[in-house]
Amino acid sequence: MRLLLAEDDEELVAGLRKELAAAGYAVDVTDNGVEAEFLGNEAIYDVAVLDLGLPGRNGLDVLKNWRSKGNTLPVIVLTARNAWHERVEGFKMGADDYLGKPFHVEELLVRLTALLHRSRQQPGGVLTVCGLILDEERQTVSTTDGHEHRLTGTEFRLLRYMLLHPGKVLSKSQLTEHIYDLDSDKDSNVIEVYIRRLRHLLGNERIETRRGQGYVFKEN
Amino acid sequence: MRSLQSKLSSGLILSLITVFGVLWFVISFSIQSLAEEYIASRLRHDAEMLLSNLHFDTAGKMSLDEGAIDLVYLKPFSGHYFLIASGKQTISSRSLWDQQLNIAGVNINESTRSYQDGPNKQSLLVIGNGFKKQDRKLSVIVAEDLNPVKQNISQFQTRFAISAISMLILLVVLQALILRHSLKSLVRLRSELRALQHGEIDQLNTDTPTELQPLVSEVNHLLSIMANQLHRSRDALSDLAHAIKKPLTVMQQLTDKHRSDISADIQDAFAKQATEINRLTERILRRARLAGHHHSGMRFSFSQDLPDLIGTLDLMYSDKAITKHINVDEEIKHLVDREDMLELLGNLLDNAYKWARHTVDIRIKDDSGLNICIEDDGPGADPNKLQQLDRRGVRLDETKQGHGIGLAIASDMVREYKGSLSFGRSEKLGGFRVDITLPAVTDRF
Repeated sequence: MRLLLAEDDEELVAGLRKELAAAGYAVDVTDNGVEAEFLGNEAIYDVAVLDLGLPGRNGLDVLKNWRSKGNTLPVIVLTARNAWHERVEGFKMGADDYLGKPFHVEELLVRLTALLHRSRQQPGGVLTVCGLILDEERQTVSTTDGHEHRLTGTEFRLLRYMLLHPGKVLSKSQLTEHIYDLDSDKDSNVIEVYIRRLRHLLGNERIETRRGQGYVFKEN
Repeated sequence: MRSLQSKLSSGLILSLITVFGVLWFVISFSIQSLAEEYIASRLRHDAEMLLSNLHFDTAGKMSLDEGAIDLVYLKPFSGHYFLIASGKQTISSRSLWDQQLNIAGVNINESTRSYQDGPNKQSLLVIGNGFKKQDRKLSVIVAEDLNPVKQNISQFQTRFAISAISMLILLVVLQALILRHSLKSLVRLRSELRALQHGEIDQLNTDTPTELQPLVSEVNHLLSIMANQLHRSRDALSDLAHAIKKPLTVMQQLTDKHRSDISADIQDAFAKQATEINRLTERILRRARLAGHHHSGMRFSFSQDLPDLIGTLDLMYSDKAITKHINVDEEIKHLVDREDMLELLGNLLDNAYKWARHTVDIRIKDDSGLNICIEDDGPGADPNKLQQLDRRGVRLDETKQGHGIGLAIASDMVREYKGSLSFGRSEKLGGFRVDITLPAVTDRF
């Protein structure tokens, strides 16, 4: 999952970035509102964490501009000013969730997962698709035969993205975009390697190759 | 203080009554004395006319040439009489008929004036003149009935009084109209002040007479200073919150990350302190942010802000699917600062949503004050601990964060508004119930 983190506090970002990456997010960071608005419109992000007190452009304005352009990017608003009028304002502008500072990273992660599930019309809690159970906290997958497999970071990211977009054709470049952040070396051939590994774990029939188009995670 | 209008009105009515009364007396008196003076001088002329027609023969007998006398003196009880007396001789006018004028002799070259009752209830003005003719002393007394003149005068007085009274009434009505018209701006100012107090407007209209201009602009000036101060302090507090929260967030993040490197006691102590700092700043800042009865502009709209707030809570607790029973009076006149009300309802509803199993019940009524009642079907609170709840932000259940602080903030706000707040068990839903009454703003104007 590609995540846009718009936050201007460097120290907070430094900690948060590592935690988010560990939780399987490809994180891009911006420290000002103008860039945040531009990046958010790039349609490569699955979720954004938006601080309201951004320099350059106020977080609420960024959100308003996204929504007025029809950008439905799921957004978690982050703010130090825990005032209710601000919260209401944020939700009216189209925020999907709200987190007041200071917060525990765990809480942010739980909310991110819940929001991603919600935005893909999946129920909250553990992600279950076609008998596969993905534990997003422990980054493991349980197959229908009851075996639990540990996943590497990239495997987890890839599987999570596919499970949240079942039945859709996902091109290699799309998968790359949503799995790696801006700073990573992107080699779409690597995707093939990871797909092969996932097939090995889940069975060949789960992931179908569409020649020239990409891959489809098949629903039963 | 009595109203300006009644003061001015009563003052004007009193002075008008005095002026018209004095005028009535002066004019009546002057006309009466003028008429009398006129009659008296005519009588003196008549006396001289009589004197010139009076002769004494050689025997000393007095005779009057009647042919030269005015006819009114011949007609009986005509109201014009004379009597000439010299020694023991008297000649009286024929108009006197069998009546007599009683009169003492008058010294030569003297003139007397007296009043007598005449025949037929006439009231006579009697002028006596002392003369000397052919070396004889004689008194000529002439009298005229004053009744016709008096009648005329009283008729005049009545007419004068009637027109004076109608004039008085007209003037009073006129001045009331003028006063009302000129005091209209004061009346408008008063209603504007009331609107200001209720928070319907935030500035007074400057379109006022020049006399009121300084007052109005001063009030407006003070209002804007107050609003600015409130805004500034709110902004400053908000910035302070931001400033404190940032290092606090980083600290919390650091302890979270280095959990394995730090011993559990230190971690616990640290987490406890950090939470405490956060809780304290939160509460103090929120309390300072309350607008209370100061006017800061935006008012809470029950038809717009309340649904927005509930929509926000629904989103925040979207995993819970809470059924809401919302019962809000259609027309709520009670005005509260928007941010304050959002803070109050937000905290209380957040609490209700957090604990509710399925249902939250909201009732807001506006009768002589704003009554808010929020109930949920959650576990409720231990009656023994209810007492502590609003005091220090005691958390009843440490597992769900921020239970107590929300209620403590609500309690601060209610105190600021001089309202009342009570917690208890909901009879209807079995959970927590909180009742709040905010007193109505009483008119000071």
